[in-house]
Amino acid sequence: MSGAGSFKKWITSRKVQQVLIVIGFSLIPVALLMIFTYIPFGEMVKFSFYKMKYTTPVQNRQYVGLRNYMDVFRRKDCFGALKLSLFYMVGALVQLVLALYLATILSFKVKGGNFFKGVMFFPYLISGIAIGFIFKFFFTRGFVLDTVLQWCGFNLADLPYWLKDQRVNNWSLVFTSVWRYFGQNMVLFIGAIMSVDSELYEAASLDGANKMQQFRYIILPSIKTIVTLNIILSITGSLSAFEPPYVITDGANGTGTYFVIMNRIAHTSQKVGLASAMAIVLLLIIFICTILQKLFFKYVFRDADSEDESYKAKKARLKAEKAAKKAAAAGGAK
Amino acid sequence: MKKRLMALTLAAAMCVSMAACGNSSSSKGGSSSSADSKGGDLTYSGTELGKDTDLKADITVFNHRTDMSSDDYGGTTWKEYIAAFNKEYPNIKVTVTTDTNYADDALTHLQSGDYETVMMIPAVDKSDLSTYFMPFDSIDNMEKEINYANTWEYDGQVYGVPSTATTQGIVYNKKVFSDAGISGLPTTPEEFIEDLQKIKDKTDAIPLYTNYAAGWTMGAWDAYIGINATGDTKYMNQKLVHTKNPFSDPGDDTHAYNVYKILYDAVSKGLTEDDYTTTDWEGSKGMLNSGKIGCMVLGSWAYPQMEAAGDKGDDVGYMPFPMTVNGKQYASAGADYSYGINVHASDTEKKAALIFVKWMTDESQFSYNEDGLPVTKKDNSTKLDFKGVDIEEDEPALEGEEDYLNDMNSESELNINNGGNDKVQAIIEHASKGDESFDDIMNEWNKKWSDAQEANGIEVKY
Repeated sequence: MSGAGSFKKWITSRKVQQVLIVIGFSLIPVALLMIFTYIPFGEMVKFSFYKMKYTTPVQNRQYVGLRNYMDVFRRKDCFGALKLSLFYMVGALVQLVLALYLATILSFKVKGGNFFKGVMFFPYLISGIAIGFIFKFFFTRGFVLDTVLQWCGFNLADLPYWLKDQRVNNWSLVFTSVWRYFGQNMVLFIGAIMSVDSELYEAASLDGANKMQQFRYIILPSIKTIVTLNIILSITGSLSAFEPPYVITDGANGTGTYFVIMNRIAHTSQKVGLASAMAIVLLLIIFICTILQKLFFKYVFRDADSEDESYKAKKARLKAEKAAKKAAAAGGAK
Repeated sequence: MKKRLMALTLAAAMCVSMAACGNSSSSKGGSSSSADSKGGDLTYSGTELGKDTDLKADITVFNHRTDMSSDDYGGTTWKEYIAAFNKEYPNIKVTVTTDTNYADDALTHLQSGDYETVMMIPAVDKSDLSTYFMPFDSIDNMEKEINYANTWEYDGQVYGVPSTATTQGIVYNKKVFSDAGISGLPTTPEEFIEDLQKIKDKTDAIPLYTNYAAGWTMGAWDAYIGINATGDTKYMNQKLVHTKNPFSDPGDDTHAYNVYKILYDAVSKGLTEDDYTTTDWEGSKGMLNSGKIGCMVLGSWAYPQMEAAGDKGDDVGYMPFPMTVNGKQYASAGADYSYGINVHASDTEKKAALIFVKWMTDESQFSYNEDGLPVTKKDNSTKLDFKGVDIEEDEPALEGEEDYLNDMNSESELNINNGGNDKVQAIIEHASKGDESFDDIMNEWNKKWSDAQEANGIEVKY
């Protein structure tokens, strides 16, 4: 009797109630996260050590240790496909510069600014598959792009085959990707730029700073988080480029990116183990890239952080210290 | 208070939906165990059309014929077939779902464990058939009912009934061929290339349209390396996996080497479309119909689609593959996608599915309408006419070797007759750029094949 009473008291006490509520509320999201993200991921890690097809029953799966991982590095088509990511990375940089440029212009007062924002954001709203089909026709010999270029005075015979010629076809695909995503980047940049205190501009212009200087010393440091984020997302995106090559060229003719090759190995050849290993290798590469970028930005924006000692000041201090030491040493020698 | 109420309802809703999932799977488990004991009634031969017409069931059908879901389809649509079926069986409700990416998506459906009552069987290992599909009947019983009964046979049981059967040849435009001054149809690769050259010289048509961009149209070339190229019914399913260097040139204009060489030569001589990367499959049907394309290398299933794609259907013809083995032309006939029935379905659903499959096979005229070869033994009418061509059927793999070809395909990644589109696309790329000779490509394939034989421990016999 008294036991039940004290239990009731214990369970209704403020602290226990707090814990119960925390557990109660986090249970569902944590369960969802585990079931749909981490357990499948764990399964994939497990798959990568086996030789198996999708339909192979569990008991027939063959454990092969690290062979799948070694294959990823040994095979020409797996790791070679990562070279194509360089095209997409260049594209991503162009895309970010373009987006930042337009965002800066559009964040000042521009006539029809909202219209332009809408027009440039629009491609992002179209589904990737539809974009694929649009550009398939866009690049077809004698269709849209060729016609427009002919209006501009180009001769059809001088124009390359946009998707057939292996020297240009990856650029064609990168172009579609830039076309699609730069609007989204731009909108993110505009959002960040809007949050900059407009008094800063006034103050700067009173001090005689031109627009370029305003951008360099006010806007860029204020939105560096968003810039960093966008760059990380773009690089990750270019490592895992999939839709343009998959829909437009089916990954044929030298346009098979890492993801397209992975998809082919997993679904056509049914080498699920190898494909899982590829996925994990890519994940590690993305980790490494992200860490490198973090370090890089720490270096680039080092003097933008007001709390840190400014880079120049630090350099000057070190120089002074060195000189002092030298002087002291010279004095000692005498 | 309101918020708490909402959280509660949400939680409750989730519990209910989870419980629902649990329920359906447990009921499935129960029915599958009881199915084996019943037998008898639930067999293909035990199913009689015209009986059980008051059976009440809902079944779902999943397949690849997206075109037949559209009201614009030139032939008989799914709607019309089901309306005809419901005249006889008004209480069986059939819901058809189609998918353009069927081969991949069907596997995903199977793997999820929750799939339709009737499905076209995708590329699963034969040893796994019983995990997913119920056996229709024993092979002996099925051979009395249908042709191609052995297509999905395992351990003496048949798990799939072909929807239709097709043969392999070339769909061409008769008018383009006669305009080019071609009188007789080509029977060797050499004649075929000469004819393509004539078409290029004398007409405006594209002699051979590769349909490179669609991908699967390239993999379609694999279908010709069996009976068409060897005249040997055992080649595809029994000998190929044991053959040493199957892609070498035998020197007599036959075998796989010379099949793919037709494509390489046609491309390197400029007898195909100008820009292969932007070919358009849907558009190509109309172009063949109207005489803008000379021919395409596709199975006979494509023939009705080309006829229906424009107003010059009479110009479209279907010819045997230009390859002669010891003075004779061969064509392989084989089952198209086959119906399989979900092993986890309830007995009533299984019965309804059996009736539906049997009705599609025996009474719907589906195979005839689709210009296929007959599947049912009860009726042998067909629209195809291959005079003087020996139509043969591939023999099944030897017992215990059923999975060899699948294993070889997976290991070598050549994926012969299994979506290996990229390897055939590569032939076109190399032929067009001229950066790799045909012999080099074939040697590469031979090497992959040999390596896979070694990895799988498959003995080299031929």
